[in-house]
Amino acid sequence: MKFIKNHLMFILPLMAILLGIEFYLVFDRTTDSYEEGLKERYSMLVVSKEPIEFSTFKSLENHVSSVKEIERENIVAKVAKGIDDSASDEIIMALPYFYEVRLDSYLDLDNLEKIKANLKVNKNIKKVETFGSSHGSAYRLFKFIKFTLKLFLFFISIVSLFLIIKQMEIWKYAHKERMQVMEIFGAPLMLRSGILFKIAFLDAFIATFLTSLVFLYVKLVWAGVSGIDIIVKNQEKIFKMSDIGILLFSALFIVIIAVYFVVFSAKGVEE
Amino acid sequence: MSNVITASHLTLAYNNGKTEIIKDATFSIKQGEFVFITGPSGSGKSTLLKALYGQLKPSEGDLVVGGLDLTNVRQGRLQELRTHLGIIFQDYKLVNEWTVAKNAILPLMIAGYTIDVQETQAQRLLKHVKLSEHADKYPLELSGGEQQRVGVARALSKNPAVILADEPTGNLDDYSSNVIWDLMENACEQLDTTVLVVTHKIPSVFSLPYRHFIIESKGVYEVH
Ligand SMILES: Nc1ncnc2c1ncn2[C@@H]1O[C@H](COP(=O)(O)OP(=O)(O)OP(=O)(O)O)[C@@H](O)[C@H]1O
Ligand SMILES: [Mg+2]
Repeated sequence: MKFIKNHLMFILPLMAILLGIEFYLVFDRTTDSYEEGLKERYSMLVVSKEPIEFSTFKSLENHVSSVKEIERENIVAKVAKGIDDSASDEIIMALPYFYEVRLDSYLDLDNLEKIKANLKVNKNIKKVETFGSSHGSAYRLFKFIKFTLKLFLFFISIVSLFLIIKQMEIWKYAHKERMQVMEIFGAPLMLRSGILFKIAFLDAFIATFLTSLVFLYVKLVWAGVSGIDIIVKNQEKIFKMSDIGILLFSALFIVIIAVYFVVFSAKGVEE
Repeated sequence: MSNVITASHLTLAYNNGKTEIIKDATFSIKQGEFVFITGPSGSGKSTLLKALYGQLKPSEGDLVVGGLDLTNVRQGRLQELRTHLGIIFQDYKLVNEWTVAKNAILPLMIAGYTIDVQETQAQRLLKHVKLSEHADKYPLELSGGEQQRVGVARALSKNPAVILADEPTGNLDDYSSNVIWDLMENACEQLDTTVLVVTHKIPSVFSLPYRHFIIESKGVYEVH
């Protein structure tokens, strides 16, 4: 019982760190594509009396990266079902030209206003619609959440690391007698603290395994039925097999630091 | 013959030099010598041994063991020196979660001998100290005297260059004590091992020539 408790006291904080790392990785990946999405969907609608070439747009505003004309036939087809062809042709002739204009980078509201003004210099352009305001605040909220999450994970990791070192010290105390005897008979550090390394490595493997299980469950079972758009869409990004390597490496790195910290804080020679 | 241990104006103390136990002691011991150290309880016999295996740093004076200056020694060199020492502790210092056999061959394990060598050597050693039938037991299942003999077996297991024994027969009857004295005499005689033994009673029957130091009132004196 005590044995299990001791191991849990080590595995749980280690898992907290690993879950934090994995969560960070997943969050970074899914939000990367979300950010890309924000940029991609980020476009302006330009309404013009006469057709405008891409080069004209480019000369008006350098940030323009692509221009797509919205088919007027489609618009008419939608609003005027059942009307005969000659009538719809007339409607088409009367319609202005619609363009979806994309920008090369994510810009704040002030810059968007400038672009708007630049485009309107052309006399044919009657209207420029931007979706800047809603995107801008969504994006900023997003960045803020991301930042607080990182901060939170960082503190969780620090606290967990302290717990790990504490538990390691308890172990050292349990093995102190043997380690001292071995030291007096000239055993090198690695042999003396071999037991600590063994326990720590074993627990690092267990923690990695459990953390991977948690995320595999999230990925394969929970994500599909979560009903959260961004998670369903990014299901394959939630846990990659290469993450196991990252987690194991991190776990081993953490326990090696913990063991060394404890082993070297042991005092050998009395003054 | 060369000196294995040289102490000059050696002062040993606890509490950062505040509690002096041994003061200004000067003596030397040559290779292959057999030395008895006696003295009242609390006089500093165990403390002197502690200094000899590098667990207590001299607060003043010089102390050289096996060519190593213990007033200023690197951990790696000290580790190396310790593999040539056979230490017997007053309180045994056995590892309780190891079997008797494993305890006995700790120095061989540290030296990296193969399991085969370790096992045959364990059998041989335990036979010497009359503990063959206890090989697979754990120290806490043994009597005090039996534990003490495991400690002796461990100290002798790798034929050390120097034996430092603290009351090795403290818990033993005359018969068992004689077994231990014989082992040490043999090591000294046949392997030229240097032997330092702290004891409250020098054995009445002892065939080798020996030296005798007394520790008293912080001094180390030789009895001639
Ligand atoms: N770690 C320590 N810290 C402080 N004082 C100590 C320590 N170890 C021993 N002493 C003191 O040093 C003195 C000598 O102790 P030591 O153990 O060397 O005596 P000893 O001669 O071996 O006695 P005994 O015959 O009873 O074993 C004692 O007064 C003891 O209280
Ligand atoms: Mg003593």
